[in-house]
This record gives sequence, structure tokens and C-alpha cells, in this order.
Amino acid sequence: MAEKKLRQIAIYGKGGIGKSTTTQNLAAGLSEFGNNIMIVGCDPKADSTRLLLCGLAQKTVLDTLRESGDNIGLELIMKQGFNKVRCVESGGPEPGVGCAGRGIITSIGLLERLGAYTEDLDYVFYDVLGDVVCGGFAMPIREGKAKEIYIVASGEMMSLYAANNISKGVQKYAAKGGVRLGGIICNSRNVDRESELLKAFAKELGTQLVHFLPRDNIVQHAEIRRKTVIEYKSDSGQANEYRALAKEVAENDYFTIPTPMTADRLEEILMEFGLMDSLKDDYRI
Amino acid sequence: MSAIIDRPRFGCPLGGALGMIRALPRTVPIVHASTGCAYNIYVGMNSGAGYLGGGYCGATSTPSSNVVEKEIVFGGEERLREQIATTLEVMDGDLYVVLSGCMVEMIGDDAQSVTDNFKNAPNPVIYVSTPGFKGNSAYGYDVVLEALAKEYVSPRKRKKADKVNVFGLIPGGDVFYKGNLREIKRLLNLIGLEANTLIGEGETLADVKNSGDAALNVVLSDVYAPLAAAAYENIHNIPSLRTPLPIGYLQTERFLRLIGGHLGIEKEIIDKALKSEQNVYFDYFERISDSYNDIDFQRYGLVVADANYAPAITEFIADELGWLPHLTVVTDELTERQQELLNKRFNNYASGVKTHIRYDSNTASVRRHLSGSWERNCNHRYYDSFSPAVVFGSVFERELAEELQAPLLTVSFPITNRVVFNRGYAGTSGGLAFAEDTFGLLVAGR
Repeated sequence: MAEKKLRQIAIYGKGGIGKSTTTQNLAAGLSEFGNNIMIVGCDPKADSTRLLLCGLAQKTVLDTLRESGDNIGLELIMKQGFNKVRCVESGGPEPGVGCAGRGIITSIGLLERLGAYTEDLDYVFYDVLGDVVCGGFAMPIREGKAKEIYIVASGEMMSLYAANNISKGVQKYAAKGGVRLGGIICNSRNVDRESELLKAFAKELGTQLVHFLPRDNIVQHAEIRRKTVIEYKSDSGQANEYRALAKEVAENDYFTIPTPMTADRLEEILMEFGLMDSLKDDYRI
Repeated sequence: MSAIIDRPRFGCPLGGALGMIRALPRTVPIVHASTGCAYNIYVGMNSGAGYLGGGYCGATSTPSSNVVEKEIVFGGEERLREQIATTLEVMDGDLYVVLSGCMVEMIGDDAQSVTDNFKNAPNPVIYVSTPGFKGNSAYGYDVVLEALAKEYVSPRKRKKADKVNVFGLIPGGDVFYKGNLREIKRLLNLIGLEANTLIGEGETLADVKNSGDAALNVVLSDVYAPLAAAAYENIHNIPSLRTPLPIGYLQTERFLRLIGGHLGIEKEIIDKALKSEQNVYFDYFERISDSYNDIDFQRYGLVVADANYAPAITEFIADELGWLPHLTVVTDELTERQQELLNKRFNNYASGVKTHIRYDSNTASVRRHLSGSWERNCNHRYYDSFSPAVVFGSVFERELAEELQAPLLTVSFPITNRVVFNRGYAGTSGGLAFAEDTFGLLVAGR
């Protein structure tokens, strides 16, 4: 029997694009296939595991570290959520003080020391905030950590700009380690010709569009109820979309070093795919 | 390819700042930095500056926030607030200066606003930003003096026409700063000036506080203390006159004529002062002249020193000792403009002698510069070796001096092989001390 291999995956993307929602639904989908999963929220806001834990207020690693020191048990900082997905929130300082990046490093270091990375795990997801603003937020993709990266994006310009920027960070780390880009996950915002645009963008970046998640208000309904869509409406079309994404990720074997583009080239692609022309504007969301 | 840094002769800004605060009487530093910063700096500065000691509130007494990982992640402002409050409670000082290290600056601690909360403390508390990435110890010295000029020195509209402030010597970085300042003060007194050297013998914080009524700032350096000089100019309306550090009679004469001329002091007063200096100075030099000729005290010179000492020593050994300075390595990191400025100091020697000038802060480079500028011995029948020579440098030049079989006079930081109290090399008294130490080396084996 082939040795079981832990896949560590980091999810990046522009702030507010839906990384946490996508990651949790993706994890829920993978858990349905019988996988053991851990999600590490790498955002000082500590809101990466809310849907899996049904909103259960969780002590973050750094809060615990601050209050109780590092002589603690794993159970204090790790909770099991939907389908036994293990949830950890790194946490961080109050906005405007300290170094959240260092917080991520400290927190992942503590998780390692406490033995959170058990042999039965199939997947570890790192849900990393907004942009890779400093070295600390690149911690999950450093040597020995996540080897796969997925970037959540939409057809909106700033989201693609952020995705391109993140790719620059990935390219840098890819050059000195084994980290690779697994693809772009489109979390649709109903932008015109969004799927084609994302495909073209992904191609230019030397990667693939892993899955196109259509926009569906059921996601918001589930979020209000503090659930993943898979838990909230297991038979819904959107739940199946997340399952399809889970399958794509599970079967993905196309990992590349991204080829980030210049700002001019990025804008060219955006122009090409309909930010201009005579398309009738449709502001419905 | 990235360059190596090999034993530079300066420290970090926090080091320069702590050196300056150590020189200020009854001034207490509050270091907001990682555990170990303050003590490591003390260890380096104490022994490197001829056993300077910790001063009023330095060494192991230095108050420090000693931030660890917790403060880095969550911010160290609360720790600093606590440290300032407890320091004010425990440490008896007339002035408290909060200094920041690299890490707290990188994580963006707002040490200024924390310090501002102590505005109503009985004695002033000021903040000076001194992270390592802003410069070196010369910057640290400068930025503390700048902060004093901005926040501590009393504004005075009326200036005293015959009062000058003197600065530009980095305490600790200039191992002989105290002796030098004493001599500069004495010389300026000779031409009728009241000299406030701020951190000299017997001077107190009151002298710093009252430095706002001087007519002129004499900055004893071509490159150090630009920020402090600008702050005095802009805030206290005191112009600056930069002059090189004078060593020996010739440079002292130029120094006094420059200052005197600038302040409109009568020529007769300056002439009279110089005459009396000559009488004392050359009386001592006369003692050595017979021996100089009989047993040949002439040497090649290799000078490795900072931007203040390098030009002064090179000129002194060329024009007053009659030696042949072959190579001078200036060990500060200087801009091209600063280098051009310093280059002029090596021109127009009375003796007509020229030296090779190199700007390099790496210790190992000195050997390379020497071999690159002196013809190699390729089994010439009459090879002219770099000998006999004397090396003027720091203890980092010890090995090179041994290789050259040349005596070493330690004159620039770090100096660990001498204990330095009030010895100075500036002025005429300093010139005599310098000559005494130098010739002393030549007769040491007799």
C-alpha cells in the first residue's frame, strides 16, 4: 500500500474575495470523501473556521500563548468542527499594533511543537489573510509547509491584481523551495465573461482555472446560519459545486511555478475580456 | 553578489546614542529593544573605548524593556509604558531618554506617543528613534544631540557674542573625546571665547540646557553631527562652523585662526595665544630633536582611523614629525561628497608629502590596500620594503602591525589595549601627547 501523503495547501487571495468560505466548503467537501483535515486560520481576525465550528468562539493560538504561555495542551487551541475537520485559529494582535506576520510564524511553530500535524492527516489548509504583506504571511509556504497554493479570485480587476501580486511571492518562494501554484479558484462575482477572463488570466499566469464557483445567495444564507453550504443544504446545486471543487483539488496534478505579468499586460487582458466594448452594463449582483 | 562586512569600527545607532547618553551627567537611558541589546552594546563600547565604564546609569543598570516574542507579536507599547513608569520611580535622573532598537521599530511600536504620555513627569522624558537600519553609531550620537537641541535646550533670543558650543566628537567612538574636549576648551579660552563642550570635564546638563545662547557652534568634524548642527541652526538660530579635529601646533594654529577670524577676534589676541602655545609646544619638541637625528626616528606611516582622526594624524606625522605617511584608510562609511570633502584635507601639506587615501570600513581590506599601493618584492636586488613603519589604528590592526614588524599606536575605536582616562590628542597638548606616545613606542625596547 502506498504511503499516505499529507497535502498541505495554502489559500491566498484578495481580502473579502471569499477565501475562508471557499476553504471551509472545500474542506467540508473533502471530508465527505473520508479525508482527515485540519484548517489553520492565518488571519488576526480569527474568522477562518466559523462555518465549520458553527460560530463557536474559539481561543486563538496567540491568545492562549499570551495568557497561558506555551506549556499548554493541543485541545485548548484545536476544536473539531463539521465532519471532524480540525480547526485552529492563529489569531494575532489588535489592529494597528505588534506584528501579525510574526504572530503567524509563532503560532505555526507552536502547532508543530504541540504535535498538531499528526500522521493520520490527509490535508492541512492554511487560510491566509488578504495579501502576502510581509514574510510572516508567507510562513505557510516556506520550506516544509504548504507545497500547494490556490488563489481565490473573481473577474474583478482588483482581485486579479492581487492574485497576480501574490503570484510574485509564490514565484519567489518556488525558486528556493518546492512550493507550486495549483491553480485559480474563481469565486464568481457575476462579472461579464468572467469564466473566459479567468481562464485567460490563469493561462497567462502559467496555471489553470481549477473550478468556477457560480454566485449563489445560498452561500450567504448558510453563512448567516454559521454553516458551510454542504452542511446547510447538502443537496443544493452550490453544495455540489463545492464537492466538484473538492474533487478537482483532490485529483489535481498540475502544479506550476507562476509567471506573473506586468501591470500593463494584466490591464490588456482585462480590456480584451470586456471591461470596455459596447456591452450593456448590468449592475445586478 | 552581496558584500561582506568585516569588523567595522563603528556600532549601531543605539550604540552611538547610548555612548552619548553615557557622556551626559545624570541622564538615564530607557532602552526599548530586545533582551541583550543594551548589555551587548555596553560590552563592546566599554572595552573598545579604553575601558569607558557604564557611567551614571549604564552597563548592567541600563533600564530596558527587554522585549521578547510576546511583545513582537502583540506590540511592545504597554511594556515600554511600564518600563518608563518604573524607571522614573526607581532611577534618579535629571533627564530620561527613551531609545528604540531594531525590532520594536520594525513592528511599528509608537514609542513617541508612549513617551509623550510622560510629559508631566517631574523631569523631562524624550524619545529618540535609533533602529539599526537607520545608520551607524555616528548617526545615533547625532540624533540624540539633535533631540536635545529640539526638546531640551532652552531657547534664547540673545546670544553671547563670545560663547561657542563645541561638538562633533562621538563619545566612545572617539576614545579620547573627553581629553580632546578639554584641550579644545582651553584653546578657545586662550582667544577669549567661552567654550561650552556640552559633555566635557565638569560640565553638566545645565550646560546642555544653556547652550542656546551661543553665537556659534564649532563642529569638530567634516562629517559627523549634521542633524544636530541643523537643529541648532533652525531652532536656536546658531550657525555652525565645521573644522577638522586639530592635532599638533600647525593644525591648532589654523583652527584658532579660523574660529577667531569667523568671530572677528583681533589678530593680536590670536597671535599672542599662539605665541605662548609655541613656546610650550616646541620646547618639548626640542628635547627629542637630537635623538630624532641620532637614532633616526623617521618612519613610514600607515593610518587607519575614522573621518576625524585619519586626516589629522596623517597631516601631523607628515608635517610635524617629518614622516612618510604612505597609506591612510578612512574607516567610516561615507558618501562620495563626504569623501571629496575629506580628500581636500590631505592636500597641500607643508612637507609636500602625499599619501594614498582609501575609504573602507572592513578590517581585512587594510592589508589589501597596502599591498596594492606598495610595490611587491619580486626578488629585486635593492627592494625598498615598507619598513621601518608605525601603524596608527585600532586594535584590529594588531595582526597587520605584527606582520609588518611595526609598532602599533592605537588611536581609533576599538582600543582595548590601553586604559584611557583624560588623555587627548587634540590641540597642542594633544600633539605633544601624540608625539610622546609615538616616540615612546620607538624607544620601548631600549
